[in-house]
Amino acid sequence: MPSKMLRVGGSVMAVLGVLGMLVLHWMVFFWTPTEASMGIIQRIFYIHVPSAWVAFFAFGIVALCGAMYLWLGDERLDHAAASAAEGGMVFTTIVLLTGPLWGRIAWGTYWTWEPRLTLTLLLWFIYLGYFLVRSSTENPERGKRFSAVVGIVGALDIPLIHLSVLWFRSLHPTPVVMKPEGPTLHPDMLLTLVVGLISFTLLFLGGFLQRYTLAVATHLAAVRERGARS
Amino acid sequence: MTYLGQIYAIVWKDLLLELRTRERIAAMGAFAVLAGILFNYSMDQTVVKAQDIAAGLIWMTLVFGGLLGIGRTFHLEAQDGAFQGVLTSPAPKDAVYVGKVTANFVLLYIVALLVVGVFTLFFGLDLGEHPGMLALALALGSLGFVALGTLFSAVSSGTHMGETLLPILVFPLLVPMVIYGVSATGRLLAGRPVADIAGNLRMLGAFAVLAVGVGAVLFRFVVEE
Amino acid sequence: MLSTASPRPDGTHVRSVVTPHAPAVSRGAPPVLSARGLTREFGVVVAVDGIDLELDAGDFLTVFGPNGAGKTTLLSLLGGRLKPTRGEVWVGGERLAFSETAWRARIGVLSHQSFLYAHLTVAENLRFFGKLFGLTDLDERIPARLEQVGLADRSDFLARQLSHGMRQRAALARALLHDPELVLLDEPYTGLDPYAASVLRGVLSSLKDGRRTVVMVTHNLTQGLELADRLAIQVRGRFGWYGEREAVEPETFEHFYHQVVEAGNA
Repeated sequence: MPSKMLRVGGSVMAVLGVLGMLVLHWMVFFWTPTEASMGIIQRIFYIHVPSAWVAFFAFGIVALCGAMYLWLGDERLDHAAASAAEGGMVFTTIVLLTGPLWGRIAWGTYWTWEPRLTLTLLLWFIYLGYFLVRSSTENPERGKRFSAVVGIVGALDIPLIHLSVLWFRSLHPTPVVMKPEGPTLHPDMLLTLVVGLISFTLLFLGGFLQRYTLAVATHLAAVRERGARS
Repeated sequence: MTYLGQIYAIVWKDLLLELRTRERIAAMGAFAVLAGILFNYSMDQTVVKAQDIAAGLIWMTLVFGGLLGIGRTFHLEAQDGAFQGVLTSPAPKDAVYVGKVTANFVLLYIVALLVVGVFTLFFGLDLGEHPGMLALALALGSLGFVALGTLFSAVSSGTHMGETLLPILVFPLLVPMVIYGVSATGRLLAGRPVADIAGNLRMLGAFAVLAVGVGAVLFRFVVEE
Repeated sequence: MLSTASPRPDGTHVRSVVTPHAPAVSRGAPPVLSARGLTREFGVVVAVDGIDLELDAGDFLTVFGPNGAGKTTLLSLLGGRLKPTRGEVWVGGERLAFSETAWRARIGVLSHQSFLYAHLTVAENLRFFGKLFGLTDLDERIPARLEQVGLADRSDFLARQLSHGMRQRAALARALLHDPELVLLDEPYTGLDPYAASVLRGVLSSLKDGRRTVVMVTHNLTQGLELADRLAIQVRGRFGWYGEREAVEPETFEHFYHQVVEAGNA
């Protein structure tokens, strides 16, 4: 796909994402009903959950593009993986900031080893490892390969980590019983959540495409400059 | 068969080198004993029974100490470019990986048994009715650990940060191993029947098999220059 | 490619664009080693920049060049240590796929690193590498090779107990253990005492048996000319000149070499 199309597509998605965010925030603050047990603070759920979805979705892209990069050797796949990782890490951070905040206000504790939040914390460190190996090699090509390996192994291990953490939790239930989404979701709340999921995804994809086209353009410029010099 | 012969050659070479230099086994062994000593002073045994928390202590000692040794897997290889000689030989990269993992496993398992032995001595542990199952749980956990550790040791050796990067890369991935390994060990030490740990052993086994398989496939991309 | 004032070995200059290819010699069988457009980049650094070469069985190619010309990288590409960024290598008419390994049994590499484990004996090192190469007659082969390099009495010495010259000889035994048809040597004479150097020269002469192909990289112009059939001068990742040994005179070669290097750096 030509770069121009991707860049424009990216801009369109980003704009739609921002618009979606505006709609989402209006819904969150003015429209959606208040959850019975937790009160107003529960509304952070509409930021927290879509961010988590994007964080893991992005990592899926990282792992998939990384695997294909190792197999096919096409630089663009690596650019895609790295671009997805950047966005992914941002949203992972948002999850880790909103989760404890919610917990503190709703239940009085910042951290309760809630399985999904724990998994997200581990995901954050896997992202960290991804960027660390990329930037600390002498030969940049090696760094890209290393990061692809981190992505692939991470993606394969995450389901296992999730299973094990859930199982551990089932043995050692903590006093605070967290039900982040409430016993059932009222249709209006569900709608708000869906709007959140869509706008966060669009925002991420928009940013991802922009970042990808930038990475490809930067690479091409470097190649051209080297060609001109020799 | 040449493939197995190649794996065997690498295992034999690594273990022979370890025998000659005693580099890693000494570090890991000393760590095991010293950790035990520090643990003794970090527990108030009038309040907490060592038998109740021994499982966690054993596995954490194994993880931290093991990482010391595994981090150095490619250290001797880097001297005089010996590993280049291995990589430019007809030995397939997955054979090299399996050989390295096997040699590391032997070393780590010796250390694991040492840890259990030392902790039993220090804390008067009762190893329960099924020490064989305990040995099996340790073996399966060690294998998965070594598989991941060897792969990422090759990664970290290729970076400026070196071994300091290894915990960051490996610890998140070890969560399943720790959860199932400590659970199995804890239950055995608490005298529970073998049936209670069957699920844990299965998960540890699956983790190990997956780790070795994925490592064997990915190793060639890691060692490529 | 060079443009304007390309030096010729006989002292004249060619005032046109010269494509540095050796004359094609067709001998029926496919060349033992050939490379087309071989390129290797490290990020933005281009170490080897589009090198072509073709060697038949029995050829001995010496590659000269200043430091940083990419000679070691070229050898690493030919020996399968590095994957080319672009271009291809063929061994015996078969295009090399980096991921396959069978062809590696046909190549022997002697580098300035010894590729030996310091804490294993010479014999143990050879046994290890012999197993990797799938050799079965090591009990006969190892003593024979050690004899050839003059280390028969040191086979039970640890590699770290050997002097540099002895270690290089042991490394040579390792490189030739599996009787490779293609031998790659990276600055083999560096740091060798006269005895070790003469042993090396003897072994290299014995490699010129008409069926083995040798590529040697060196700074040393005299040693490089001794056994060569073909010569190349590598500058900045490219062959500034590539031709037959007969085309040069040893007396004028040094001057010619410097001219090519200067032209290549310009």
